[in-house]
Amino acid sequence: MNWGATVRTVLLCSVLVFLHYTLRPLLAWRASADFLIIALLLAAVRVRPGVAAMIGFIVGLASDSLALGAFGAGALAMTLIGFSWSKLKAVFFADHVLLNGFFLFLGKWVYEVVMNVVERRMQGAELLMQILVWSSLSAFVTAVAGVLALMALRPVLETRAA
Amino acid sequence: MARAARFTNRFDLVLFGACILLSLVSMVLPPNLREPVAGSLRRSLVAPLVRLQEGAERWRGAYISAEREELRRDTLALAAARVPTLESENDRLRGLLGLGSKLQWGFIPAQALQGRGRIDDFTITLSAGSRAGIRERSLVVAPEGVVGVVQTVDPTMSLAILFAHPDFRVSAMSADGSAFGIVQPHLAKSATTAPQSTYLASERWLLELRGVPFRSTLKPGAVVYSSGLGGIYPRGIPVGVVLGEVKTAEAWARTYLLRPAVNPAEISSVMVLTPQRATSGLTNVWAEIGVVDSATKRIVTAGDSLARQAASAEAAARRAAIDSAVRVFRDSTRRDTAAVADSIARAVPGAPVVRRPPAGAARPADSAAARARRDSASGVRP
Repeated sequence: MNWGATVRTVLLCSVLVFLHYTLRPLLAWRASADFLIIALLLAAVRVRPGVAAMIGFIVGLASDSLALGAFGAGALAMTLIGFSWSKLKAVFFADHVLLNGFFLFLGKWVYEVVMNVVERRMQGAELLMQILVWSSLSAFVTAVAGVLALMALRPVLETRAA
Repeated sequence: MARAARFTNRFDLVLFGACILLSLVSMVLPPNLREPVAGSLRRSLVAPLVRLQEGAERWRGAYISAEREELRRDTLALAAARVPTLESENDRLRGLLGLGSKLQWGFIPAQALQGRGRIDDFTITLSAGSRAGIRERSLVVAPEGVVGVVQTVDPTMSLAILFAHPDFRVSAMSADGSAFGIVQPHLAKSATTAPQSTYLASERWLLELRGVPFRSTLKPGAVVYSSGLGGIYPRGIPVGVVLGEVKTAEAWARTYLLRPAVNPAEISSVMVLTPQRATSGLTNVWAEIGVVDSATKRIVTAGDSLARQAASAEAAARRAAIDSAVRVFRDSTRRDTAAVADSIARAVPGAPVVRRPPAGAARPADSAAARARRDSASGVRP
């Protein structure tokens, strides 16, 4: 990835992080889009798996610092997701928008599952309800937002060759 | 080349493993070690993001509070707008109550629904039907007078024509019975009405009293009642008020324009008279509805004044009790002072003599109180 692409990616990720901390609180939906996950996907598919894991770790730890109940859980989930995306990018999907959406859905859902299990705030039926309904809904909204963002930013972005 | 690729793969795996390890370590960190790490992140990397989030939430809070304020204003405006409607409805229901208490039996209360919204639609749907006892050609009335007549009856609802319907007719008379005629809708355009739209908007709801003998004259403002002739409408129900005479080609009879007794815009709650009630006579029912209504108002007012009287009586009783207590206290103080003065006078010759009433001339209240005390004391003894 050349410098121009790096700068563009960093800028777009910054915009997505900005949206995560402004648009999300403004909307205040129960199942809202996770722009950090979208930013991680954007970055992960353009760097090596180790670097993607490190980015995921830093982003997850930063978001964990505001929720001390599950400090480290977000970092763990984001590390897994970043590394997996970067690996899967080379194996499975090149630049297909719907596949990107599917992996966004999967990534966000895994993130939610890891967070809910590690936080241990809910148990039994409530946990099941959260994972099956609200986490899925949130993952769906994130996937839709991510697909829209990718489609809008397609001219600006260029992906790493598989 | 292959070695370099292997190296980078190994490097990725090492980096990934390190991140996973660090994540797991941070998860099991004790709070005293976890807090410095999280605190340093909050103060450095996350601080601007948190400020962004705070700003966004402040915006959201302002938006929600503005929305709430707007809703509150709307609610207040709505409540204020509903007050006249409620007052009008209250008046109507009070009137119906008066009519019901005067009729006593043989009527079915119903809601009148004017749902179709067409300007030339002179029918209403009533919320009661044959199950409630409504029959065809039952008379529909309101506290103000004639509303119409039932034409179609279903088990749970019925349809009635209003007084402005072209098929509506009622035999009517003046209050003193000197003039008789037939009341029907004012279908023809009068000479004073020029544009068609105005005619449809207002004058179409007026009535005509036709066929009044030429010798009988009615003054504007005279009330016209149903005469009881014809068999459907019993005698004595207000139909309308005379507005003036209408010039027609008929030379042997007069025609008067009437304002209907019932305002069509206010037809909401009505009463349907059963045939038995209609045939048993309604004389003086409408004349006394106003009396019943005013009697109800008087009762309410009297209740208020009774409450006021009770309150003032209670206040007076309290004042009297306080006054008597003060009097008793003053008397006892005066007696004590007199006794002290007597003893001083006896002890010091030449001291001024204080006059006091004789022992036998004690005050009635005091003696009564003393008697009461003696009685109570004797009652206590075995």
